[in-house]
Amino acid sequence: MTVEAAPAQSFSHTGRFFDVLGLALKNAGLTVVTLTLYRFWARTAMRRRLWSRAWVMGDPLEYTGSAWELVRGFLIALPTFFLPWIFVAYIAPLVMNPITAAWLGFGFWVLLVPLIAAARYWMRRYQLSRTRWRGIRMGLAGSAWSFAAASWGWWVLQVLSLGWYTPAARMNRAKLMWENTRFGDQPFEFADDGESPQKGLWGPFALGWFAFPIAYMASIFVVVMVFASLGMSGVFTPTPAGETPTEPNAVAIFAMIVSFGFAFLFTMLLCWAPYNAASMNRIAGLLSLDGARFRLRTKTFPLFFVTLTGWLISIFSLGLLAPVGGFLQVRYVMNRLEIIGTPKFAEMGQPVIEGPRSGESLGDAFDLDMGVGVI
Amino acid sequence: MRARYTDGRAAVSQEAECGIGQDAVTIRVNDSTHVWAYHELARADDGNGRIVFKRKADTGERLTFEPDAKDVLKAVAPNLFTPRAQGVESPRVVVGVLAAAWGVAAAFLIGIPMSAQPIAGVVPAPYRAQIADISWSQVNAFTEYCDDSDEAARILNEMAHRIMARSNVPHRDEIWITVVDAPFPNAFALPDNSIIVTDDLIQLAGHPDELTGVIAHEIAHIERNHVMTNIIRQMGAGIFFDVVFGGAGAGQAIAVASVNLAGLRYSRGDEEEADARGLDYLDAAGIDTGGLARLFERFRELHEEHGGEVPTLLSSHPATPARTAAARARSRQGLAPSLSDRDWRVVRQACGGSAAPAVED
Repeated sequence: MTVEAAPAQSFSHTGRFFDVLGLALKNAGLTVVTLTLYRFWARTAMRRRLWSRAWVMGDPLEYTGSAWELVRGFLIALPTFFLPWIFVAYIAPLVMNPITAAWLGFGFWVLLVPLIAAARYWMRRYQLSRTRWRGIRMGLAGSAWSFAAASWGWWVLQVLSLGWYTPAARMNRAKLMWENTRFGDQPFEFADDGESPQKGLWGPFALGWFAFPIAYMASIFVVVMVFASLGMSGVFTPTPAGETPTEPNAVAIFAMIVSFGFAFLFTMLLCWAPYNAASMNRIAGLLSLDGARFRLRTKTFPLFFVTLTGWLISIFSLGLLAPVGGFLQVRYVMNRLEIIGTPKFAEMGQPVIEGPRSGESLGDAFDLDMGVGVI
Repeated sequence: MRARYTDGRAAVSQEAECGIGQDAVTIRVNDSTHVWAYHELARADDGNGRIVFKRKADTGERLTFEPDAKDVLKAVAPNLFTPRAQGVESPRVVVGVLAAAWGVAAAFLIGIPMSAQPIAGVVPAPYRAQIADISWSQVNAFTEYCDDSDEAARILNEMAHRIMARSNVPHRDEIWITVVDAPFPNAFALPDNSIIVTDDLIQLAGHPDELTGVIAHEIAHIERNHVMTNIIRQMGAGIFFDVVFGGAGAGQAIAVASVNLAGLRYSRGDEEEADARGLDYLDAAGIDTGGLARLFERFRELHEEHGGEVPTLLSSHPATPARTAAARARSRQGLAPSLSDRDWRVVRQACGGSAAPAVED
């Protein structure tokens, strides 16, 4: 007898902030004292924790990856990525003709775009292969290099269009990624609902494209005015009575630069939140598994606050508590995700595709997932 | 005891009746029976409330108990309720990772400095020239060549070669001193065996022996290959930082800085070696080492007067009391100045400098 009740909300995340924070603090401490080598165990522990609190139709997800698999992936990345990179970054500028070295460096950075895309694909493949629900493993078929090549082409179009191809590129990437994603032997589908995949995205994108530079410039103006008034009042440079301060001191300059950074972060997240919420909702709305559809209800301001909180936690902890920020986003999304209809789980068996034997290698090198994962 | 069982072949779970034995749990599902020995099991739940068992050789089967089964299960299978069973690594693993991390760090941060000198000795000349070009580009960015310094440079080079000939310094024909206009008092060696002397240093020196002492010190850096050694050392540190810390780019910044002016700093050991060797040159050439002691003293006073606002030469050549004392200890009275009064005046006037005061006794 199956126990698939039909809960009002099919997905939920029961992770608690202080529970995750405690694990993140322990991971951060051990990561620091081990000169970051503990990061493989830290990631694994955090993923186990986050996966096990993600509930789908009354059963939790399960992460079955091990730290040693991540170590093995890192050791594979050492000669395949780090050695060429050390040559390009360190050796070539010293031993080659400067122009040749500069072109080599440029070529390497251009190659990084598809390489990062491939790394993202491999990372997803590894993590999905170590994700089980009701004992059934997930998986990712397809070629990482095909995804990387396509992704590179879309990136070029994004650059050439001054960003305006971004909604199409995002949906293209999502379609390619999800159509290769498997739950057991069942593929996810990226449905054609008769509308453009970018339906509902162009307005929020235009808002972000136009509003962000304007908002950022306005915030810079405000920051400058605030600092100017503080400077005139002698807050930063104590001056004897009757004298006017002439030069800002180093503290004031540093504080102003930091304020510019936070203004950038705040305005960027705020202006792009409508687009991010719309595209996440749209992607989820087009997904189906065995005829069952998904629905995501993220909203602009909650998504903005959750994302901003995550960034601030990450920044103020120098990245060490980034998984806490990732957890907040994951919890927010999971708690707003629904499935409409019920797939025929009794007919879904284990996938035929094998998972990789080692971990994320380049994904770790590029730190693509804030230590959280595809969840 | 009731539980839920998934068979690993389909994504459905079924009600199961479980018999909890001392060594194994017997699972009855519909018409089939499974016996799982506790020592063959692992936890799959990470303490999320319900207790989930799986086989160590993962078949996809799962046995899920409600939280209230914990006491019963823990009594018969305590090994499944340890932190390790729930995915927490053992202390042995943490200690091992700690040891591995610091072992790798030691290999890089001690091994690279130790092997830096031999590696620096075999850097081919074209690569050395390439590295020197980068350093020169930095020199040119922060200093200006003086059209009126040729005569001063000739005088300083003749004096330097006189010193080097006495001490039989190898490759001395490759060493060349250039006087530049710069807003800071400093002297430093570059990877192509050039020595840069700034006009501010010349103006600061009150006696030719003071300047000669600094030049002797820089020659010693070149003789001992400290410049390339330092670059190799900093590159090793940079690569270590980047690879171990995940390619954040900080390491590359260190490596680039190592071939820049700001990075042309030596280890304390290099400085002590260059001090001792430089004093040897001066002794052998019959030049009073007291000049160098007076310059150190002058820098120390300047530093005190300006409250740390004299960062250039002091930052790369800290005028510690020990260094001053070492130079003064080998001072000999009654020796002739290293430059004649006329030559010293010419050197002082390089880059539009003021005419030299009378040579001090």
